[in-house]
Amino acid sequence: MTGSRSKSIVIWAFVVTALLMLSAPTIVVLGASFTAGNIITFPPEGLSLKWYGAIAQASDLRQAFFRSLIVATICTLISIPVGTLAGIALSKYRVRFARTIQIYLLLPFTIPLIGSGIGMMLVFGEMGALGKLWPVGIATCVINLPFMIWAVTASASNLSPDLELAAANCGAPPLQRFLYITLPAVLPGIITGSLLMFILALNEFLVSLLLVDARSVTLPVQIYNSIRSIITPDLAAISVVFIACAGVAIALLDRLVGLDIFLKSK
Amino acid sequence: MRHSRVAYPLTWRVMDVFERLAAAVWPSSFQRGLPYLMLLPAVVLVGLLVLGLIQIGDSSLRTLDTSTFMMSENYTLANYQRALSEKFFATVAGRSLMGAVIVTVITLIFAFPYAYLMVRTPSSALRKFLLVALFLPFFIGQVVRAYGWLIILGNQGMVNEALGLVGVPPMRLLYNYPAVLFGLVQYMLPFAVLMLAPALTAIPAELESAASSLGAGWVRTFRHIVLPLARPGLVGAGLVVVTLSLTDFAIPAILGGGSQDFIANAIYDQFFRTSDQGLGATLSLLLVAVGSILVGVVFMLFGAGTLAMGDERK
Repeated sequence: MTGSRSKSIVIWAFVVTALLMLSAPTIVVLGASFTAGNIITFPPEGLSLKWYGAIAQASDLRQAFFRSLIVATICTLISIPVGTLAGIALSKYRVRFARTIQIYLLLPFTIPLIGSGIGMMLVFGEMGALGKLWPVGIATCVINLPFMIWAVTASASNLSPDLELAAANCGAPPLQRFLYITLPAVLPGIITGSLLMFILALNEFLVSLLLVDARSVTLPVQIYNSIRSIITPDLAAISVVFIACAGVAIALLDRLVGLDIFLKSK
Repeated sequence: MRHSRVAYPLTWRVMDVFERLAAAVWPSSFQRGLPYLMLLPAVVLVGLLVLGLIQIGDSSLRTLDTSTFMMSENYTLANYQRALSEKFFATVAGRSLMGAVIVTVITLIFAFPYAYLMVRTPSSALRKFLLVALFLPFFIGQVVRAYGWLIILGNQGMVNEALGLVGVPPMRLLYNYPAVLFGLVQYMLPFAVLMLAPALTAIPAELESAASSLGAGWVRTFRHIVLPLARPGLVGAGLVVVTLSLTDFAIPAILGGGSQDFIANAIYDQFFRTSDQGLGATLSLLLVAVGSILVGVVFMLFGAGTLAMGDERK
């Protein structure tokens, strides 16, 4: 870095404040989940794991968590083929109206989440599918699909078209070229994209809230419904599940593709 | 020449069958249609949103009959008139718009040094730490984060308890406008940093060295070199933060405690509290329109590459 002492002081001041803001809720939730008291106090009343025992007994929380897992799995399973094919098509081929198609495929980001959610609520309601889990899975897939397409196009740009031509020259038919050349080249993008899709669907709150009914609440909705004015530590303990999932996802992302890909300039 | 049967492995034969199948389903004369076929599933999925918008448009033209609680059969513009004339909605819209602008400015002020340090630091350990600190809250979800703030800022929360130890009476830190804005800034920081970082990576560090060797202090270097070159990133990040905070639901709902509703909360209430689907649909459509106009204006002013969907590569 070029610059003087004053520059690093100013930059660090902002960064430390930002770090505090970013991590405070996570650290506090973690700490609160280990409290021995019945309400969250400061300073804490001692350590215990009793709230983890309590949530392990609570079948409604456990079921809500499983529902969230199902939703995230449906979302990821749909997004992998759909996003991969679209991403490869956009980056590898010359497509007519490419510009229009790109803007169209960005709709999930440009339409506000509440608009998308309400719209899909009406559509699925018309189909009589509200209260089931698959519409939630599809909906979370739709609203986050641009992430998947972005991840695949970003890694498809590393693929040289010469490689496929060389394979064709050696006699590889189209399907083999796709399976052995194209697909491995975009695999880091597919991994990044599917991890993002899974974790975002696991956490998705607003669209879930609109699409579920009392019998099919997902975990974020369950936590939201249970937040009252008195803050009890069992919610903190169940929130730690999300923190653990996020930690696993980050570790996987770093291990498989490296977090640095998010810093690459286009 | 005949191939020896033994030298031709089973997997190859299986692949041959698949190749023949693929060729039968999609002969090479259809080759030019292939990319469109590959795009089709994505187009269909996103089509759900378009269908949804059509449904919303349809509902927005029907009014609620309060005696039967049925939607009217014929179309009217009464909902739009109500949405645009009632003072309550103007208050909510003003609160959301002003909040979005304030949140965007504060978020960018904090996100910029964060992204800059992350991109420029020579230490890869620090870079990884900053990235993890960014992704962890991003991956945890809004509800849990807002819950964390409740524990910290609540009436019996950590801050008030700590203040109580030194004899300061408890303060009401939650359920007000600043609390909502604060929560939104925290929610938006990862988005803003992740949009800024690639733009900053694209600025060669040598440019800054050159500026400082020519005698520019770091403040001048920042103002005249880094900021102008980072403009695409700043615009993209700003756009994302404005639209996301303008339309957020969870943070105003949890940290605002019902007294600081944003537009999304008003829409939700129309659907689930008052059950006035028509008015709710109207508000949704107006919000979609405002969001699209915002995105459209920014695209027109700065180019559609702003959202960096891997499009300008080709």
